[in-house]
Amino acid sequence: MSRPDPAIAVTALVKEFRTARRRLRALDGVDLEVGRGEVFGLLGANGAGKTTLVKILLGLARPTSGAVRVRGCDPRRAAARARVGYLPEGHRFPGYLRADAALRLFGRLAGLPEGALDRRIPELLELVGLADRGHDRVGRYSKGMTQRLGLACALLDEPEVLFLDEPTDGVDPVGRRHIRDILLATRGEGTTIFINSHLLSEVERTCDRVAILHHGRVVRQGSVDDLTHPTQRFSVRLGGGEFPPDARLRELGAAVASRNGSYELDVPDLETLNRVVDLLRAERLLIAEVSPVRAALEDVFVAAVEAEEREPAPGPAVHAVGGAP
Amino acid sequence: MKTWALVVDTWREAFARYTLLGFAAVSTLFLLILTFALNLDIVNGTLAAGSLFGRAFEMRHRTPEIETVVTSALSIFAGMLYVLGVFLSVFATGSQVPNLQHRGTVDLYLSRPIARVHLLLGRFVGAVTLVGANLLFLCGGVFLVLSLKTRVWNPRFLVAAALILVVFLSYLGFMYLIGVLTSSTPLSIMLPYALYVLSLPLAAHDRIAAAMDSRLGAGAIHALYWILPKTPEIGRDLTGFVLGKLAPSALPIVTTGAFGAVCLAAALVLFSRKNF
Repeated sequence: MSRPDPAIAVTALVKEFRTARRRLRALDGVDLEVGRGEVFGLLGANGAGKTTLVKILLGLARPTSGAVRVRGCDPRRAAARARVGYLPEGHRFPGYLRADAALRLFGRLAGLPEGALDRRIPELLELVGLADRGHDRVGRYSKGMTQRLGLACALLDEPEVLFLDEPTDGVDPVGRRHIRDILLATRGEGTTIFINSHLLSEVERTCDRVAILHHGRVVRQGSVDDLTHPTQRFSVRLGGGEFPPDARLRELGAAVASRNGSYELDVPDLETLNRVVDLLRAERLLIAEVSPVRAALEDVFVAAVEAEEREPAPGPAVHAVGGAP
Repeated sequence: MKTWALVVDTWREAFARYTLLGFAAVSTLFLLILTFALNLDIVNGTLAAGSLFGRAFEMRHRTPEIETVVTSALSIFAGMLYVLGVFLSVFATGSQVPNLQHRGTVDLYLSRPIARVHLLLGRFVGAVTLVGANLLFLCGGVFLVLSLKTRVWNPRFLVAAALILVVFLSYLGFMYLIGVLTSSTPLSIMLPYALYVLSLPLAAHDRIAAAMDSRLGAGAIHALYWILPKTPEIGRDLTGFVLGKLAPSALPIVTTGAFGAVCLAAALVLFSRKNF
C-alpha cells in the first residue's frame, strides 16, 4: 500500500534575497515533511527563516530553488489555497472593518457561499470569545482580540491545513490556554497544523513533531517525545519538613536543592539513584516522588543552536533573515 | 462573488476614510449652489436677467439666446469638472494599493484562494465604480439642475462624465503601477499630479521640439507626447464638443487609454511576481 501524500512537503528549499550590496540567504536547503492530521512546530530564533518558510508555503513568496507542496499542489496556484488557513504574524485587518464584516470579506474571498458565512461567522466569533464584540471596528481591538479574530479568520473555511505564525503573540495567559484548546479541538477534526513560534513551552504542549530552524537550516527534527527524551538523570523529592543529609548525599554524587518548601535531589544515574534511596530510607526520610528528568524543549533548542554555532554546517557564507527585507 | 467582495470592500474603505463622504459633500455643495444661488429669468427664449448669490448679472442691453448661454455655461462647467474630477478622483483612490500592500494586511488577502491578478483587478473595478458613481452624481446633477432651470437639454454634457472617467482610468492604471512599485501613498498621488502637469506643455510638443537644437531632445519630446496621457487635448475637445463643435478626436483618447492599460498590465505582472 502506498504512503499517503504528506500535507506539507518541502524539498531542498532555498530562498535568497538580493539587495544592492549583498545576497541574503534566508533558507538554505530546507527539507521537511508534515503528515496529514499532524501538529508540527517550527522553532527558531528571530531571523531564523521561519516566516519566510511559511510565506513560501502559502505562495506569498517565491522560492529561489527547491520545491514546496501543500496537499500535493503548488501553493502559488490560487486553487491550492482553498481550505488552507493562515494566521500571519503581526497581521493587520483593515481598521475600517467590523469584526463580522472582516470575516465576511475574507470568507467571500475564500469562495464561501453567503449561507455558510451566515452560519460560520457567529460560530467562530463565539469560539474565539468575541461574540459580544463582533460589531466593533477592528481598529478598536486590543492586540489579543486582533489575534483571536485572526484565528477565527484562519478557521473560516474549515481548513485542512492551518498555518499559524506566532499564534499566541500578545495574548494573555488565559487567552493562550483558550487558543491552545481551540487548536487541540481543530486537530481533533483532522486538520494539519503548522505552528511557527519561538515560545517553546507552547509548542511543547501543542505539537506532535518539531523542527528547529537555525540560520535557514533545519538543525534538529523529530517528535516532541523523542527530542525531550528522558535523560539519565533523576529527580527525588522529599516530603515537606524532611531535611536531607546534604554532605553524605553529595558524597554519593547527588545535588541537593530546596524548592517550594521541599528538597529535590538531582541524581546523575540509576546506580546512584538506588544508593541515594537506600540512604534516605536508612535515615527514615519520607520520599514523595522519584521521576526521570526529561530534557525540556528549551534545553534541546539551546543545545542544538549552540552546537550549530560551534560547528556550522558547510555552505555559502551568507546570512539568514526573517521575512522579506 | 470574489469580485463583488472586493468592490464592496473598496466602497467600505472609501466610506470609512471619509473619501466617499468628502467627494459627495463637495459635489452636493456645488449642486446646491447651482440650484439655489443661481437664478435666471428667461423671456421668450432669451436671458432677460439673472443673479448669483442675490447679485444681478449685468446684461448690458444684450439679451442672449438662452440656449447659447446654457451651452456656454455647460462647456465651462465641463472644463472645470474635468480638471476637478480627475484631481479629486486621483486623491480619493491614491491610497488603495499602498494600503493593500501593508505588511500584515496583504498576507490576509493573498493567503485566500484568489489569484493576485483577480485581487488587484477587483480593487480596480471597485475604484472605477466609486469614481464613476461620484462623477455621475456630479455631472448628472449639474446637467439636471441647469436643464430643469432653463428647459434647455444638452445631453452632450453627459459625455463629459464619460471622458473624465476615461482619463481617470488612465491615471488609475498609472497609480496602480506606482503603488505596486513603491507601496507609497504620497508617491501614488503626487506622481499622477506631476504627470498631469507634464502633459500640459507637451500639448505644444511640435513647437517645443522645433525650438530644440538636439534631434535627440526633439525626438524625446515627441515620444513623451505620444506615450503620456493627452490630458489638455481631451479637455479642449471635451469643451468644444459640449459647445456643439465636432466630436472629440479618437487619437488622444485611444493613446491616453493605452497608456493606462499598459501601466495597469505592468502593475498586474509586477504584483503577481512580487514577494511579500
